[in-house]
Amino acid sequence: MKSLRIMTAVLALGLCVVSAAFAAPKKAITVASDATWPPMEFVDANKKVVGFDIDFINAVAKEAGLQVTVKNTAWDGIFAGVEAGQYDAIISSVTITPERQAKYDFTIPYVQIGQILVVPKAEKGTKIADLKGKKLGAQIGTTGAMEIKKVAGVELKTYDEVGLAFEDMAAGRIAGVVCDEPTAITYALQKKEYSSKFKIVGKSFTKEAYGIVVKKGNKDLVAQLNKGIAAVQKKKIDAQLKKKWQLK
Amino acid sequence: MSIEAKKQIIDVGDGAAIPRKSDRGLFTAWRIAFFGAIGTISYLAYSKPDPYLEILKFVPDGIAVTFKVTLGAILLAIVIGLITGLGRISKNRLFNGIASLYVEIIRGIPLLVQIFYIYYALGNIVKVPAILSAIIAMAVCYGAYMGEVVRAGIESIAKGQREAALSLGMNGRQAMVHVILPQAVKVILPPVGNEFIALLKDSSLVSIIAVADLLRRGREYASESFTYFETYTVIALIYLIITLFFSKIIGVMEERVSVNK
Repeated sequence: MKSLRIMTAVLALGLCVVSAAFAAPKKAITVASDATWPPMEFVDANKKVVGFDIDFINAVAKEAGLQVTVKNTAWDGIFAGVEAGQYDAIISSVTITPERQAKYDFTIPYVQIGQILVVPKAEKGTKIADLKGKKLGAQIGTTGAMEIKKVAGVELKTYDEVGLAFEDMAAGRIAGVVCDEPTAITYALQKKEYSSKFKIVGKSFTKEAYGIVVKKGNKDLVAQLNKGIAAVQKKKIDAQLKKKWQLK
Repeated sequence: MSIEAKKQIIDVGDGAAIPRKSDRGLFTAWRIAFFGAIGTISYLAYSKPDPYLEILKFVPDGIAVTFKVTLGAILLAIVIGLITGLGRISKNRLFNGIASLYVEIIRGIPLLVQIFYIYYALGNIVKVPAILSAIIAMAVCYGAYMGEVVRAGIESIAKGQREAALSLGMNGRQAMVHVILPQAVKVILPPVGNEFIALLKDSSLVSIIAVADLLRRGREYASESFTYFETYTVIALIYLIITLFFSKIIGVMEERVSVNK
């Protein structure tokens, strides 16, 4: 009996050594993404999470020698999750803002975008301030919601997903939606059920940059991701991806 | 008999509040929970105004919306429940059939799905404000449960009561209104109180259709300040205080009714 136990122990030890020797040198990380934000990240017809951000993080990981698993996570609480260590990073069209930087670490910016207003075709106003006395929608906790909040006289309605805001606008309950330009283009111009109802007005009125979010203090991962982003940008992979996902 | 003893008997006969067993003593579970929650929230707001006091300042309109939805829905649900309950015991096959179908279908669909469905389905037909469709969704759902409560309450009244009423010359409707329903109310009240508390908590589900209730206000605050733990602590305590407050009111109402037994 005893010999059996020793044998098992030796076997187990051997297995450990072997698996350590053969284990991929790549570090495995989990990245959260709220897949409700086309074309940056969304769930396609095959139930797979796809989009610019997803392709981008995979390219970055390849350059940085990381192994990435993308986890579809609700936006509401996505920051709390990285803080609690449920995943290592977030790539989900997260704008780098001073408030967020105070709480989390960001990689170098990887895409420049802006906020833009989408309204029903009949609407004459061209900016948020023109819609005083009306209700405007945005996804909860996004920079779009913050832009609406800045304008006095308009009522902000927040939704769990930006798609619900567009659906509510289609039903005539709100007079406009503010979100990131690429997503606005997808919803207003490319979605069949909306393209006849909505229009984008004016130009994007903020200058924002997306970054990958990492828990405060996780400098190693930031450095590794930054290395990957720099390599991707140098090889112009990001330009190809922008073309693929029709970003400006 | 001493005067005091006499007075005591008269007091009881007058229907003065007879203390419930659980209400004896200074430290009842209710008191510990209620004043504990108030104490905790006050202490947090005092000792750490940022973020706790900030959160408390941010959410009051959300509390008002939660109240509006809850009270609107419960009133509507009681009406629906009464009609449904009467339908469920009715000998009229059509009335009975509709009521039963309603209960079976609504009980089988999650409230969250109903809220979504009513909001977006109704939105395609008529433009209903979010709060109103939230109230309708909650009332439709809880009306089904309430119907079963009403049915059980009425069925719990002994058959002899109805027979006695009929033998006094009342017709069926009079017997129901004057004899059976008043007695059934005593049986119905505790489970209705229960439903009320459950509805109040479930009203947090309406935040999914962008109704700015207590939960959504909290989430809005948290998503901008990134103080998730602190915000949800405050939200949980506020819900606790509100539900305890209402459970007390319901308790008092039950007591009032039971004194007349």
